[in-house]
Amino acid sequence: MMTNKLCADIGCLSINHAGEQLCGDHYEVVETEDGKSTVLVLADGLGSGVKANILSTLTATILSTMLSANTRLEDAVETLAATLPVCSERGVAYSTFTIIKVTNNSRAEIIQYDNPRVVLLRNGENLELAFTETVISNKRILKAETEIFENDVFLAFSDGVEHAGVGVSYNFGWERDNIIDFISPFLDAGFTAKTLSTLLIDKTNELYGGNPGDDATVCTLRIRKREPVNLIIGPPANRDDLNRMMALFFSKEGKHIVCGGTTSSLAAKYLHKELVPSLDFFDPEIPPTASIEGVDLVTEGVVTINRVLSYARDCLADNKNFDRWGSKHDGASLIARALFEDATDINFFVGKAVNPAHQNTDLPINFTIKMQLVRELAACLEKMGKKIKVSYF
Amino acid sequence: MKITVCIGSSCHIKGSRQVVEQLQSLIAEHGLKEEIDLAGTFCMGKCQSGVNVTVDGECFSVTPESTHTFFSETVLPRLK
Repeated sequence: MMTNKLCADIGCLSINHAGEQLCGDHYEVVETEDGKSTVLVLADGLGSGVKANILSTLTATILSTMLSANTRLEDAVETLAATLPVCSERGVAYSTFTIIKVTNNSRAEIIQYDNPRVVLLRNGENLELAFTETVISNKRILKAETEIFENDVFLAFSDGVEHAGVGVSYNFGWERDNIIDFISPFLDAGFTAKTLSTLLIDKTNELYGGNPGDDATVCTLRIRKREPVNLIIGPPANRDDLNRMMALFFSKEGKHIVCGGTTSSLAAKYLHKELVPSLDFFDPEIPPTASIEGVDLVTEGVVTINRVLSYARDCLADNKNFDRWGSKHDGASLIARALFEDATDINFFVGKAVNPAHQNTDLPINFTIKMQLVRELAACLEKMGKKIKVSYF
Repeated sequence: MKITVCIGSSCHIKGSRQVVEQLQSLIAEHGLKEEIDLAGTFCMGKCQSGVNVTVDGECFSVTPESTHTFFSETVLPRLK
């Protein structure tokens, strides 16, 4: 439900305790059943490895599931206390947690148990949240609430982040103020939540000298304006639908991206503008882009989208390819930035015409592959938290 | 003279970038930048015979291997 033009962009990243294959931190992002709220839960299980992983996964899953059904917080925490298995060595059942619940894109509720306090950066300035304390099931729980504004950045992290560099780079680890000082210069650049989390985790890992002494996780929640992006690929199966498809596409608010040679020619003809291909190979494997007046970006189809898909998969995993698509000018990087960074709502207009010239070749660009690519890309973008609509023609 | 090289998906995979780069350097070598206008074009619908190259509208099939021959046997004679 949209009550204003804002939305929450959430991106999280973890690194594991050196030598562990499982992470003892776990995060979940869910939407409430009524669609009014988004809930982010970060849990940090006692110890590391398998045990910590089970504790944090249970904690994050129980809390996010119950809160998304609008269960009272008290009930959720009681359920949690009654469910967590007790550690045989230490005799306690323990996982810390941080919850950020954004409702109607206008208010945020922060609930924490024993994790480092959430940082709120408003207009680039650190704003201390006013926490109050309540006791539920013998746990001292901190709560805060705030109205939200565009460009607010909430940072939730596990204590593994603050402990980075203890006794090596810093006497007491990477303290809250150091973390805020580090990330502040990046706030104006329009980076996504995932990128901000990546910057913080990379720095954490560096401070640990590449051997983290604890699991470390950063969850960034950034309040931003909704930004629609529309992407058209492929001519319609039935020629008679062409004008309808183009009219629907170009009437949409937001950026317009046209993919595919034939599709570009048809779009240019529809707009009565010239299609001007360039010959700049910014990336040797990606065909050059073109330009049409009134269209934000014109690229080749399948080869380019295939690369965008591989960037999308990487972005959802460890985001290692950010330096490849983050600033380059080839078609795939430009689409990646438009879809991953700028867009919050993406409308795909997919034409199901079969290009006869492509079908009899041995090249990996036939019709089935094109449909597959679009499906997979849409699924990846959905996982990034984008609202996706795919229309076939 | 206008030369266009197809940079559509199919021709791209068949090596249109190498064709473009070779043509660019051949044109520079022969000092023909003023005479020849080299441009890209999207799919010409003849993917089977790619890489598709047109010289003043006439279509030719070129490969990265045959670009030098194509330039000396097709492009240069037409300039005279």
